[in-house]
Amino acid sequence: MVAFRSHDTAGRSSGLLLRSVLYALLALGLIVLDKRYDQLSKIRRALSVVVYPLELGVASPFRGWAWLRRSVTTRDTLRAENARLRAQLLDERFRSQRYAALEAENAELRGLRTSTAGAEAHPLVADIMDVDVDAFRERVLVDKGAADGVRVGQAVLDAHGVYGQVESVGEHTGDVLMLSDATSAIPVMINRTGLRTIAVGTGDLGHLKLPYLPTTADVVKGDLLVTSGLGGTYPEGYPVGTVVSVKIDTVRSLADVEARTAANLASSRELLIVRSKPRPPAPALPAARAPRPKPAAPAKSR
Amino acid sequence: MNRDRPVPRMSVLLSALVALTLAIVPLPDVIDRLRPDFLVLVVYYWSIEAPSAGGLTLAFAAGLAIDVVRGVVLGEHALALTLTAAWAMHLRLRIRVFTVAKQALTIFGLLAIYQFILFWVDGATGYPVTDWSRWLGPFIGAAIWPLVVATLRRLHER
Repeated sequence: MVAFRSHDTAGRSSGLLLRSVLYALLALGLIVLDKRYDQLSKIRRALSVVVYPLELGVASPFRGWAWLRRSVTTRDTLRAENARLRAQLLDERFRSQRYAALEAENAELRGLRTSTAGAEAHPLVADIMDVDVDAFRERVLVDKGAADGVRVGQAVLDAHGVYGQVESVGEHTGDVLMLSDATSAIPVMINRTGLRTIAVGTGDLGHLKLPYLPTTADVVKGDLLVTSGLGGTYPEGYPVGTVVSVKIDTVRSLADVEARTAANLASSRELLIVRSKPRPPAPALPAARAPRPKPAAPAKSR
Repeated sequence: MNRDRPVPRMSVLLSALVALTLAIVPLPDVIDRLRPDFLVLVVYYWSIEAPSAGGLTLAFAAGLAIDVVRGVVLGEHALALTLTAAWAMHLRLRIRVFTVAKQALTIFGLLAIYQFILFWVDGATGYPVTDWSRWLGPFIGAAIWPLVVATLRRLHER
């Protein structure tokens, strides 16, 4: 250490030590403030404005290319697409005809229970930006942020089902954590039986697991999982995924159940951000507050 | 080679911006995991060659930029980058006279510490990333270090 230290570097080294300690303390302070006290959203918003031009610059060529491809599609392609969309619209209309009646009936059956229907009144359409956020976490950047009314914790859907939730917001951008991220958890209900449990991400794109189901639970391959609405982050009744495998090892007390997300995590381009009414402050891990799954049926003697 | 040369701050800033851009250009998932931490390497380079041009402020700002871009807890990359860049600065006179291979080895060490601090903060803040491929970072960074040196050297040695 000493061999190369000339006078000039020795003087600078002590200054260096002091400054590096100061900066490190500043960084640690930021971490604690951000993590424990959630005080830095304004700073994050301000900083995000600084990097926004860069993100926009990276995303624009891809957007431009997509635009170019759209503008040179042939008339035939457009006609075919139009016909297909019309057929699809007809189909959807047909399905939704009875929706209003069913919703009214449902509300009546629930009696006075406050409905979450209001939460879904103002969805916001956001485009995924072609920007790589983090190789090790399943997230995407969308082009709507705090300025558009996006808040941390809002649920995000795509055309097929629940996509994830907003994890942090900048001024004009938002970070969306996908359902299959290893840190994501969502309270779900098995549509067929009404059994409630929690689906957690695996870190593998599009894959979920249901780690809290007892081996006696009534769950079979092909079961549809929908949001249960517990925990308050995700609105109730949206498709989350489909059970793809159920392995029951009677030695263990919990079943090994895997599911695939209903949302197309890999290729969806447009997302819906559900701008719900402000809720009481959510805990750090919203899903953790959801109740433990109740056992499905009394354990039968084996 | 013994003195810290004055370097136009413009080229430091420019190289940092280019590196940050390279960090977010979309790549297929497999290649994405192999993407070198360009900005970190650039910060190390300037810490070693011209600490007066950016210094710890550059390291801290660059770390904060990575935090914002990745949407992780603020201060995580800033902490890791500041500490390792300070160490690089401390050893800069020795690192400068190293052969390229030895320099790459030093960079490997710095990146390993950098990655370990990130790993620690990830775990401490409750978002552990235990994927084995995160530990590829130091190897890849060390491998492309000669390329980074060759590119950045043109900015201040004409």
